[in-house]
Amino acid sequence: MTQEQPIIVAKHVSKIFTDPVEFRVLDDINLTVDRGEFVVLVGPSGSGKTTLMYALSTLDTEYEGTITVDGTDIKALNPNQLAQFRNTTIGFVFQFHYLLPDFTVLDNVSLPAIKAGLWSPEEIEERAMKNLTLLGVADQARKRSSRLSGGQQQRVAIARALMNNPKILFGDEPTGNLDTKNTALVLDILQDLKTEFHQTILMVTHDMQFTERADRVVAIRDGRIIQHEQQ
Amino acid sequence: MISRLRNNPLIKIAWVHLVSKKRQTIVAMLGVMFGVTVFIFQAGLLTGLQNYFIEKTVNTTAHIHIYNEVRAERPHVLDNVREYDATWKVVRNQKPRDEERRLRNGYQILRALERDPRVEGVAPYLGLQGIVRFGTAQQAATMAGVDIVREDQLFRVRENLIDGDMLRMQTIPNGIILGAGLADKLGVQVDDNIAIISSKGVVLDMKIVAVSKTGITAQDNTRAYISIRNAQRLLQQSGAYITDINVRLRDVNAAQAIASEYQARYQYRAEDWVAANANIFGVFRIQNITITFVIASILVVSGFGIFNILMTIIYEKMPDIAILKAMGYRNKDISTIFVIESLVIGITGGLLGLLLGFIASMIMSTIPLNIQGFVSVQYLTINFNPVFYLVAFGFALLSTAIAGYFPARKASRFDPVEIIRSR
Ligand SMILES: Nc1ncnc2c1ncn2[C@@H]1O[C@H](COP(=O)(O)OP(=O)(O)O)[C@@H](O)[C@H]1O
Ligand SMILES: [Mg+2]
Repeated sequence: MTQEQPIIVAKHVSKIFTDPVEFRVLDDINLTVDRGEFVVLVGPSGSGKTTLMYALSTLDTEYEGTITVDGTDIKALNPNQLAQFRNTTIGFVFQFHYLLPDFTVLDNVSLPAIKAGLWSPEEIEERAMKNLTLLGVADQARKRSSRLSGGQQQRVAIARALMNNPKILFGDEPTGNLDTKNTALVLDILQDLKTEFHQTILMVTHDMQFTERADRVVAIRDGRIIQHEQQ
Repeated sequence: MISRLRNNPLIKIAWVHLVSKKRQTIVAMLGVMFGVTVFIFQAGLLTGLQNYFIEKTVNTTAHIHIYNEVRAERPHVLDNVREYDATWKVVRNQKPRDEERRLRNGYQILRALERDPRVEGVAPYLGLQGIVRFGTAQQAATMAGVDIVREDQLFRVRENLIDGDMLRMQTIPNGIILGAGLADKLGVQVDDNIAIISSKGVVLDMKIVAVSKTGITAQDNTRAYISIRNAQRLLQQSGAYITDINVRLRDVNAAQAIASEYQARYQYRAEDWVAANANIFGVFRIQNITITFVIASILVVSGFGIFNILMTIIYEKMPDIAILKAMGYRNKDISTIFVIESLVIGITGGLLGLLLGFIASMIMSTIPLNIQGFVSVQYLTINFNPVFYLVAFGFALLSTAIAGYFPARKASRFDPVEIIRSR
């Protein structure tokens, strides 16, 4: 796999929910994301954006079609390999921050790196502090995560997602619960990541600020991609 | 905190979970502790008493007891004459024959047994029922006619004496050793003179040379040792008359085999100590089964306590589980968290239980009780057998592991997508 190869290739991805009624939530999705690309996914509520993100980010493997991430066919991996792959290759920021509330900020951010087992405890703390500094929340490191404001927590979640140098950073409406000021802050950070670290980013959002600054906007409706808009 | 997390985040997560549910965690630990404490205390108390009783009773039973088994029932005299029609049998009130309980060649057998290398000691015995009289006071008693030195070799008579001197039985021709309860009831002590009367109407004047207290109430209240010669006089019998031979073996476990060998050889009943005390062992077995059930049910209940708290934690911490999985923690990592939690509860509760059980047993064994019942004891003899401690701890861990296994498995199988979506 050379650098020129796209990082994500989704081919004929379909998914059907049968509960409560049969419902085609993803309908023959074909999508390619290049390395270093900042792609924004838009669409009305219920159109299948979150479902697609879970499939692309390897959390969900129950679909038809194939998804290849960084040259690896996701469905070919067993659960343990999948967990390992997720740990080292993918960072995910959810709409709700999902920090472990009883742990300190530093502990939360360290968790993926401890699982990876690639660095010494000292290196992990160093990396964690570096990421927290990058996101402007280093001063909160020793606080319990539940003590932080929503905006701060979301930035900690991004710091955590970046811990293992993921090849792709996924976000599912990461600024959905933030005010305009915090949203702009997160957007600045993401753009810095893209320009400075060549970070691949795939993000669901309703925010117009994002769609303006993304490399590409993909619109989805009723489980189908209806438009690729190159900026 | 951070250094522990660095080394193992699963332990840290488990710890944080338990701390966040402090009260329930403590209750679950107390459940395990209680189970282990009861286990140790009950097992120690019960087997302590049983061992005491075995030591007292079984050790005062001969390893092999040889005697002439007198059958009360015998065929009707007419049956032996010729084959009559059964309806014509009219002779009633056939008395039991005055069959002798005597061992015919008792002393010969005794000497033969003495030469058997498997035998440690042999003692002759001639028992009878009689009355002990002191002034106007009188008590029924079991007279044990014995050779006191041989008897001591088998049953440690001397160890149980609380007053007097056993060997005076040899120097004084009419010496008698009374059970402590019997002496109390009569109001006599060593060197008092008493009379004993047999069912044949023979009266002998005796001198008390010692008082014995075995701790077994029934024996202490009724038994008196006299010489075999005096027992023969009371029964108006000659000098070769004995009814029983008691044998002490070098290997107590060989009793059953040797007993049947003797029975075949001498044509007298030879009963080993296990058969003689079969009813006691039966009672012990029932006691042990009962107590096992009690303890098992306590441990099951404490297992439910652990199960309950783990399920509570799991449902409350579902988002944590989902996020850990989303960042690449495996199913096994998740179940490890909850196994750790149940083990922490089980080990802590178990260790506390061991400690408390030991302390309770210690306290119990030092409280003077002076029980006068089935057996008379001053202190409870508690069995501190380390096997109980191992088994109790093992059971605690087992019930904990089982109680933790199912919640752990459940947590590891959660689908993170479903949890994250449902928020
Ligand atoms: N587990 C599920 N079972 C059945 N339907 C579901 C399930 N999850 C999501 N859906 C439905 O699938 C559709 C798409 O959901 P989602 O991907 O969350 O949309 P979006 O993120 O674009 O709002 C919605 O109509 C939603 O109700
Ligand atoms: Mg959504």
